Amino acid sequence: MVAVIGWTCQEERPTRIERRDPAQVSLQSLRARVLLWVSLALLVLFAITVIGLDAISQNSSRLALNDELQVQLLGVIAAAEESEDEELSLPDDAGLDPRMSLPNSGVYGAIWDADGVPIWYSASWGDREWYVSRWPEPGERIYARVEEPDQPVLEALLMGIRWDFHDGSSLPYTFGIAVAQDDYAAREASFRRNLTGWFVAMAVAMLILLTAVLHYALKPLRRLVRELGDVEAGRRQAVSESLPVELTGLARNLNFLIDSERRRTTRYRNTLDDLAHSLKTPLAAIRALLTEKRSDADSLSAIDQEVVRMDQTIGHQLRRARASGGTGLGLAPVGLEQIVTDIVSTLDKVYRDKQVACELEIYEGASYQADPGDLNEIFGNLIENAYKFCNKRVLVQVISLADRVEIVVQDDGPGFAPGVIELVLERGGRADESVPGQGIGLAVVAETAELYQGRLSLGAPDSGASEVRVTLPRRGYKLSKKVKNEW
Amino acid sequence: MRVLIVEDDLSLNQSLVSEFEARGFKVSSAMDGREGQYLATEYPVDLAIIDLGLPEVSGIDLIKALRSAAKDYPVLVLTARDRWQDKVEALKIGADDYVTKPFHVEELIARADALLRRAGGWAQSELVCGPVVLDTKSQQVTLEGEEIELTSFEYRLLEYLMLHAGEVCSKTQITEALYDQDFERDSNVIEVFIGRLRRKLDPDSKFKPIETLRGRGYRMDLPRGAPDSH
Repeated sequence: MVAVIGWTCQEERPTRIERRDPAQVSLQSLRARVLLWVSLALLVLFAITVIGLDAISQNSSRLALNDELQVQLLGVIAAAEESEDEELSLPDDAGLDPRMSLPNSGVYGAIWDADGVPIWYSASWGDREWYVSRWPEPGERIYARVEEPDQPVLEALLMGIRWDFHDGSSLPYTFGIAVAQDDYAAREASFRRNLTGWFVAMAVAMLILLTAVLHYALKPLRRLVRELGDVEAGRRQAVSESLPVELTGLARNLNFLIDSERRRTTRYRNTLDDLAHSLKTPLAAIRALLTEKRSDADSLSAIDQEVVRMDQTIGHQLRRARASGGTGLGLAPVGLEQIVTDIVSTLDKVYRDKQVACELEIYEGASYQADPGDLNEIFGNLIENAYKFCNKRVLVQVISLADRVEIVVQDDGPGFAPGVIELVLERGGRADESVPGQGIGLAVVAETAELYQGRLSLGAPDSGASEVRVTLPRRGYKLSKKVKNEW
Repeated sequence: MRVLIVEDDLSLNQSLVSEFEARGFKVSSAMDGREGQYLATEYPVDLAIIDLGLPEVSGIDLIKALRSAAKDYPVLVLTARDRWQDKVEALKIGADDYVTKPFHVEELIARADALLRRAGGWAQSELVCGPVVLDTKSQQVTLEGEEIELTSFEYRLLEYLMLHAGEVCSKTQITEALYDQDFERDSNVIEVFIGRLRRKLDPDSKFKPIETLRGRGYRMDLPRGAPDSH
């Protein structure tokens, strides 16, 4: 079957699905871009250089030609002498350039009297004559060009001279020298050809060299892309970081991203598993109560308790899943003072009746590179707990250090409810298993801090007071393993 | 007290309306933001309970609209979103409190009562005007420490007057706060209940708690706070 499209005629072939290596395409493209732009740059640079050198060469040729005209003219003037009949003449053995004796040699001389009548023509003129359009005044020099049909163009110099004879008389004469241009033009053309040839050769050599350099320079990038393909295909866990210094940051960030995504996926999966598991028990309890078809107060209260439990489970698991996980990529530093003041003014409104005196001690310009939602959850849960359980006073401190941020929230409440410390400190503790008071909020804060490789610790600075401290390391830093929990 | 409930879930809306009415509130309700905005700006309201995820006009836009229309009554936000950013945003634009779904109706009503008290300048759940003490939690009223029996309407009327102690409350205001919108406004039922309250609160005409301002309305004249606190 033949498909005719416009002026082309193509035979249809079975479609061949070819998966091109993305690394190959992008590298070729990168290399093509560099080569294209370097070629264009070389073209422009070399063109300007060739034009400039050619101009210099032409100017140099012009100066050389003028010098030759001057020398030849001075030679003729020096050779001219007064003849016996008080005329100007040139002796046969005048010692002029031998080319003046050869017909059409390319070097020509002539002398004219005051009336423009030639009194001497060099033998090189042959039958040719020199028609002068303007005669120079004595002492004046005129550069001219002799152009005649079917004759080579000549560059000429005319000079007017007043010749003093022995008898005291003087007469004006005009001396003229003409040189064929052909030699100079040929020399210039040859120079231009050589120049262009050399520059083209240089450009080709440079492009070949550049291609080789690019091939060598892009080798680590090709390896990185190949390894990324392996990660995608599940053949590798991470890309190698033994790369040139310019690419180590990229590789590190890629590994960070890959690891974050892997952890996030695991967290989602665990969250869904936990959610399903945690919801099934209260659902089963509710179904059992409904099956009994009892509507007494105890049954309704039991159903209500199961609903509360399910609500806590959903809330807790969703908060866990929602936490960004602190990939650190694409996350700008977030100003902490604004978050704290917003939350405090919100809580001042909600707990207006309690008249809480909240004191803030926040390092000026304190910021942390994290998802704003995660920071809002950390501060919101910590400060709301303090408002809820304080007597009258709450202190929020944000200490910004080079390697970490410390968040300290103190209140003058009754301290932590029994079971809270164990719940928060127990790794993998089920915070959704109902614990009264601060439990759920602190568990969420502890889990969110862990996503940023941080930790939560509890303390009691004074009797009857409680303190929660969250330490969040900055990117690139790790906390020491020592965990201090005063109680 | 007239409460506006804007909630798009029909069963929750109906449940809230009946729960609030059962506790003596007069309730207007809307199922979407546009209708809610109309009711919130065109009718007298003492408290608005607004769901954030509303059709037509979002809860956030509705709160913005009523605040920009200079409506300064308290707003309680209902939300299924429990992120702190959402709570902060809602309170920043003018809400006064939030309750996260699901919730117990008792908790919602307690928060609504607290907002109404705050709007009247009361910080505690006990409203004290001289010898009269009204406990909004237990809905008990005592006169010089002795409990007095009030009907539901009498209680709501006294609560309204005490919440606005020292302020003139017109008959129209009281009627709109305590009765349905189609209530006959020319009826003298308010005068009747005021008379009953006076007899129960001041049987010996010793305190003169409620003053009638002819052509303007009524005013709780007992000073806020216990007598020994002044």
